[in-house]
Amino acid sequence: MTEERSLARMLAEIDRRIIYLLLFIVVTLPILRPVAMPLAVSPDTKQYYKVLDALGPDDIVLFVLDTEFSGYMEIQSGVLASARMIIERGAKMAIACCHPEATGIPPMMFSYLGDVMEKYDYEYGEDYVVLGYIFPNEAAVASSAQDFHSIAREDWQGRPITGTFLDKIHTWEDWSLIAIFTTGIVSDAFIRHYGLRGAPMVVNCIGVMIPTQKPYVDTGIYDALLPSMRGGAELEKLINAPGPGLAAMDCFTFGHYLVIIFIIIANIGYFGYVRRVKR
Amino acid sequence: MTPLELIIAIVAAFLSMCMFSTLYGKSSPLYALAEESYIGFATGLTVVVNVLYIYRTGILGIKAGNWVLILGIILGIMVLFRVHPKYDYIARLPIAIALGAQFGLALRTTIFTSFLDQIRATIVPLFSGDAQTILYRWTIALCVIFMLTFFLYTIELKGPLKWSATIGEYMMYIAFGAIFAQTFMGRLGLFVGTMQYLATPPWKKPILVASMVIVLALLIALDKTGLLERWTPEE
Repeated sequence: MTEERSLARMLAEIDRRIIYLLLFIVVTLPILRPVAMPLAVSPDTKQYYKVLDALGPDDIVLFVLDTEFSGYMEIQSGVLASARMIIERGAKMAIACCHPEATGIPPMMFSYLGDVMEKYDYEYGEDYVVLGYIFPNEAAVASSAQDFHSIAREDWQGRPITGTFLDKIHTWEDWSLIAIFTTGIVSDAFIRHYGLRGAPMVVNCIGVMIPTQKPYVDTGIYDALLPSMRGGAELEKLINAPGPGLAAMDCFTFGHYLVIIFIIIANIGYFGYVRRVKR
Repeated sequence: MTPLELIIAIVAAFLSMCMFSTLYGKSSPLYALAEESYIGFATGLTVVVNVLYIYRTGILGIKAGNWVLILGIILGIMVLFRVHPKYDYIARLPIAIALGAQFGLALRTTIFTSFLDQIRATIVPLFSGDAQTILYRWTIALCVIFMLTFFLYTIELKGPLKWSATIGEYMMYIAFGAIFAQTFMGRLGLFVGTMQYLATPPWKKPILVASMVIVLALLIALDKTGLLERWTPEE
């Protein structure tokens, strides 16, 4: 009995640094040495895939990076897989940032997708334009919905955007799709000023935002939602282009198993020791 | 791999591990170094990018004949008075205008996106569609009813109402669990993404492992010698 109680006490009082260390090891090891565990594709991702798959060479996509650099780490698989789909289908893409740190993302994106861009002859100015930091707040989003060129006259390197495919864009109606990759900086403004008017929108958000974004799919404001890095991994699987998402799924699986084990341990500790002490 | 890429990888891995040193449970100079570096970098980047933004949208707009933007530039300059104790009241006007505009823009549409459309999406046919759709719609409809009864404050909950409220309460616990799980997945995603960035392409892996070992060794050594607290700058 005493031994039982001491074991329960030990479980109840595990040093949190041990938990951090174990989680650190369990999550990092699969990155250093991938295991490639199986992955099922969710209906959300299939729906997202369908929307992007329907794009063609006549379509123009507003590709919104509504994220800081740290947040990008979670949605980069979705960003890269979505950009790959857009490039492969020949649709035009205007990349806009909503945070100063996001301005570093497009060069990394195109460095990663260099082979695909070369294969499909995807040229700057002709097929895509990087607009840089043009959506700092709701006012900018609202203005762009009514008169896009009032907030964007040059690309991120100061070159005029006149003469590019963006000449066809004047108001929210002219976009074929608004694709938002978000940690929640101004994505709500896009819902209010683009989605509510009826602009086709898809979103790839971080995990903590899924419960708040999912209702917008039900209301029809979003055409589809790609949930977090898991959604990105599923999209990579659907388009047969393994990338950072699929590689990360091992880490998620092992990390989640570990948390389940810790929940069980904590409950044994609680019922075996903490509760008895309280009584 | 170019020398520049190598330097970037070393700095990124080392500073990231310094950031994670907070998990050691004690304040450390390594964490302070990484934190201050990040603040400095982020502030510098924000200033540069925002100055460019003002030039591209404001100055270029004025040059293009949109004279009303001069008003925006003046209001922007007025905000800078905030740093002067004697004239900081001047900054209140542009801040009030910005807040008013923000509320005006948001409130006009929020009632639709966050309220009316959500109600409309809940009121759906309960007997059409495939079995999965029907189940999904019934679950939402029943959960909404149960949870709403939990929030009835002006009448005493007895009989079926009490049952409904109790079920609603447990439904909420389930929802909290799901939200917590998704939050954990999200936080883990941030960590995994960062570690992937530090470990991809494969030539970065030894740098990452070396950074982990060096930072952990430094932490333990500083802790054992009592330098950890002494060298940590005060908040």
